[in-house]
Amino acid sequence: MAGASGVSKMERLLGLLTVLIDAPRPLTAAEIQARVPGYPTDLTAFRGAFERDKVAVRTMIGVPLAPQAVPGTDPPAVGYRLHPRDAHLADPGLEPEERAALHLAASAVRIGGLEATGGLWKLGGAPGPGGSEAPVADVGELPADRNLVRFFTAIADQRDVTFAYRGEQRRVAPHRLDYVRGRWYVTGHDHGRDDTRHFRLDRIDGDVETGDRSEHRRRSGGGAGVRLAPWELGGDASVTARLLVDADQRPNALATARGARVVEERDDGSVVLEMRVTSRAGFRSFVLGFLDHAEVLGPPELRDDVVAWLAATIDRVEGR
Amino acid sequence: MDAVERLQRLLSIVSWVATQPDGAPIDEVARRFGVAERELLDDLGLASMVGADSPDHDDMPIEFFVEDGRIHVFLYSFRQPLRLSPEQGLALVAAGAGLLAVPGTDPDGPLARGLAKLAGVLGIPVSESVEVDFGQVHPPTFHRLQEAVDQHRQVELDYYAFGRDERTQRVVDPWLVFQDGGEWYLAGHCHRAKGERVFRVDRIEGLAVLDTSFTPPAEPPTRSSYRAGDHEPRVTLDLDADARWVAESYPLDDAAELDGGRLRVVLPVSARPWLERLLVRLGPTGALRSADEGIPADLAAEVATRILRRYGAV
Repeated sequence: MAGASGVSKMERLLGLLTVLIDAPRPLTAAEIQARVPGYPTDLTAFRGAFERDKVAVRTMIGVPLAPQAVPGTDPPAVGYRLHPRDAHLADPGLEPEERAALHLAASAVRIGGLEATGGLWKLGGAPGPGGSEAPVADVGELPADRNLVRFFTAIADQRDVTFAYRGEQRRVAPHRLDYVRGRWYVTGHDHGRDDTRHFRLDRIDGDVETGDRSEHRRRSGGGAGVRLAPWELGGDASVTARLLVDADQRPNALATARGARVVEERDDGSVVLEMRVTSRAGFRSFVLGFLDHAEVLGPPELRDDVVAWLAATIDRVEGR
Repeated sequence: MDAVERLQRLLSIVSWVATQPDGAPIDEVARRFGVAERELLDDLGLASMVGADSPDHDDMPIEFFVEDGRIHVFLYSFRQPLRLSPEQGLALVAAGAGLLAVPGTDPDGPLARGLAKLAGVLGIPVSESVEVDFGQVHPPTFHRLQEAVDQHRQVELDYYAFGRDERTQRVVDPWLVFQDGGEWYLAGHCHRAKGERVFRVDRIEGLAVLDTSFTPPAEPPTRSSYRAGDHEPRVTLDLDADARWVAESYPLDDAAELDGGRLRVVLPVSARPWLERLLVRLGPTGALRSADEGIPADLAAEVATRILRRYGAV
């Protein structure tokens, strides 16, 4: 809406971007006030309006309008400018069908609280009618996590992040974000442990701070970990488990047990699966999901573990 | 729409129109950027006034005129659109990764290529930076199901009801295939249960698309895998600190902190086998404190004994 000067906020912001982008040198606040139509003449009112506009610029391009020294000033003055490289989107060179596919994706998949429309405008708006894309399943909305954007920015800028996780402060060079089993995970190099680690975003306590440029190089394939099955998500000594599953549970077992091998098919329709186990707790939980329709055949330590767990279950009930 | 959004849209419009050799029809620009024609011309009018009264700028950044229903734009600044904010970049990249995770999307098709280009300007290797996984489904089942939904044709399912631990045949009016919590679901009217039901697609063990058609509901079904019922019995569980995952995994009626990081939760029981599984998985880390009628207080011990019998350990 137009302010007292008759200049709307949109015009003022456009004027601000015009003078800041590719200014030959950083412009002082006083110069900005004089050159951009629509700023109040009162200094306090101007400062308030300029601060709000700085936030607006950051919202639009994601880059903060940071004060810089103005060369050749004595006493030293600070000023503002935007490098065209920071202000503008490099042309990704999208073909029409690629732009259409991105539009389709943004309409089929929404990320909670994140608006895709502004990005689609910047990529040239909606493609022409007559797109022959078949309708796809409406995926709906994926939840967003409050730290998702911060991690995404840190990945793009290759910066370290620090945060509290399970009561410990972590410094991590984040590599990737995964949405698996309904949750967001970040994978990165944990400097404290000098190894790759996965973190569930909803288990991070408090705020995530972005730090220095990360010295740790991005490694590919680091995200496979969050796709591992429950019986692989652990640091126990690796053993190969043999699990007998009854006929009625066979399709369910084969659908759930990613990475398991069928080593025996019995005449009654039951199957014996073999799987590599590095988490006894995860394996036990998986096996107990079959109730009495499955049985751990070996090795003995895994079989004993299930038996001991069930005995402890009975003890707890009877010990009440 | 606030000034910030309007300005982003306007600068996107001018940079796009300026690349069109003969300008662009007003109606096409309006449609492309989702703006009313009147508003479009008003915004362009405002933009063309910027710099007009500034002594320091010889050139006004944006000039435009309209002739024969076409907009022509000349730019002295803003030839490229504004940079994507991280929120906008993430919204597009994650949506693209999400659609790539839908069975049947060509992993090397236009979407993947578009995402790769977008990732290039954002400075990330996209396929390795953001990935979405909706769980494994059998693609042909998924497609035939989706087709049946689109064509309003009944299906016959051979379905494994995990919660009830039983395999059933049922005829269903398929209303909607949707994703929730990282899994694919089918919502529809089940003729066996005579009511609305939700089925996990990966537990459909057989699917036949029937010739009979059905009338879809006027109101689209809820996209939630969980249909809470007030009639379902409730249990109260005491969870040790390392069993708190239960509170994150299931819908709760109530939760209260106890000492030592323990938690007391009240939750609905959709089916007996579901509760049996939960109790033996909890094992010694949880306890059934109280339950509605029909659920024995020593259910955990009863189930554990049943399983132990199989191991010859009872």
